[in-house]
Amino acid sequence: MQPLANVTPLKPAPRAGSIQIRDVGQIFKTPTQDVEALSNVSLEVKPGRFVVLVGPSGCGKSTLLMMMAGLRQQTSGTILINDAPIPQPDPDRVGVVFQEPSLFPWLTAEENVEFPLALRGVAKSERRGKAEDALKLVGLEGFGKRHPHELSGGMKQRVSIARGMVQDPPVLLMDEPFAALDEQTRMTMGDELLRIWAATGKTVVFVTHSLTEAVYLADEVVVMSARPGRIVDHLTISLPRPRTYDMLSGETFGTLRDRIWRHIRKSA
Amino acid sequence: MSSTTLRRLIVISLIVLWELLPRAGFIPELFLPSLSSTIAAGWNDAGEYGHALAVTLYEVGISMVFACGGGILAGAIVGSLPRPRVLIMPMISSIYAVPLVILYPVFTVWLGIGSESKIAFAAIYGFLPTMLSTAAGIQTIDPQLVLAARSMGATLSQRLVRVIVPAAIPTVLSGLRVGGALVIVGVVVSEMLISSAGIGYLISRYRTILDSAHVFAGVLLVLAMAIAFNAAIKWIERKASIWQTGSRAGQRAADDITAAAVQPAT
Repeated sequence: MQPLANVTPLKPAPRAGSIQIRDVGQIFKTPTQDVEALSNVSLEVKPGRFVVLVGPSGCGKSTLLMMMAGLRQQTSGTILINDAPIPQPDPDRVGVVFQEPSLFPWLTAEENVEFPLALRGVAKSERRGKAEDALKLVGLEGFGKRHPHELSGGMKQRVSIARGMVQDPPVLLMDEPFAALDEQTRMTMGDELLRIWAATGKTVVFVTHSLTEAVYLADEVVVMSARPGRIVDHLTISLPRPRTYDMLSGETFGTLRDRIWRHIRKSA
Repeated sequence: MSSTTLRRLIVISLIVLWELLPRAGFIPELFLPSLSSTIAAGWNDAGEYGHALAVTLYEVGISMVFACGGGILAGAIVGSLPRPRVLIMPMISSIYAVPLVILYPVFTVWLGIGSESKIAFAAIYGFLPTMLSTAAGIQTIDPQLVLAARSMGATLSQRLVRVIVPAAIPTVLSGLRVGGALVIVGVVVSEMLISSAGIGYLISRYRTILDSAHVFAGVLLVLAMAIAFNAAIKWIERKASIWQTGSRAGQRAADDITAAAVQPAT
């Protein structure tokens, strides 16, 4: 149970950020048949770790993420965040960032970031302060008054990350957050995310299709197989931090990426 | 020259032509009396026109409350619940193809030739596009926005008030624009057909005695009414949904409906 690096003084209680997934299964019922989406998934994420889920399309990695967010309930097994189940979304424990920035187009950037606080009736001045801090953290100081349509794709996703972190949850779940961005923006955003993660010490669970992104970002990569999704490999990425662009062409990087690719090719 | 300036020039030259052509004798006064004699005719009988305008505005106002209020309510229900949508939407769309004005004589039988029959007719006339537009607006809301709100812990009512309603505003407003315009059409047309008061009635009565100046004075009033209504909607649009520029999805759906909605009134 390590304390967070930049916990706000208002919330002095140390929070964990641990995730325990035990024997989780998910069955989708359709009128014609029952589809087993996840089978017997068990995973333990230690506080402060950066864990990436990869796997072929339809392996249920996003489904698993939605369960950790409390947006969907598993058919069997248990999921514990901070040692407690998550029967519904709880932004104090878990922040979520989606593939689409999902910003409300009628609100400004800072109003978007304040949204989760406004839902709980936090006073305007306190809200504004926290939103400013969060926007500053993601490198968008001074852009708070803009509407989403006045921001680039990468900036929108930054706002979305700021919104996911504004309540300072110990766990941040990210569902292919950079998939809709172009290659260059994607690289920059990866570095930005690592910087934010290093500064805040949050537990991050990150879903992606990109093996390069997976190895570049992660402490641990969890590889899942196609339907029914199960965990087929769990690698520790021992590359030193901070990660640099040069590592992409290194031997270690290539070996790790190959190992993941072999799993995915086999199961797809 | 900017297109705004050009547009203004076109309007001004049309007004000037309206004055000059009849005066110069190119167009007989019976077909088109000059603008000045039209206004003079209206001014001389200002009392009569004022009374007619009051009647028409009253009918338009009440019809709008029914058409827009009812349309938004029904559209929200139909748009958010899949079952009624499947049942009702095809029926509504078919009714839409029927020129509703054929029902107006029936309304006069049921409600008499006073304001009630006009209000009933115009309300139904404007109700359909408002309802269809609102239903489409609710349906085109990005489900991702609702999911995001849920992930932030929004309750059902918070999702409704803070996400679904603001997200639906642009499409609802363009529904109001079409619905409201049709309400005006409905009231004026029904006044022209069978009635004893209102601007439509005046236009129709002066036409039978070939008093073109008085006919066009009535036409001018209807024109002014439609322009004022449009300006009001535009003002609301600017106030309520500056974000439209960002998301065109809802707007497109509304445009589709608008295109389908424009049908001859009689």
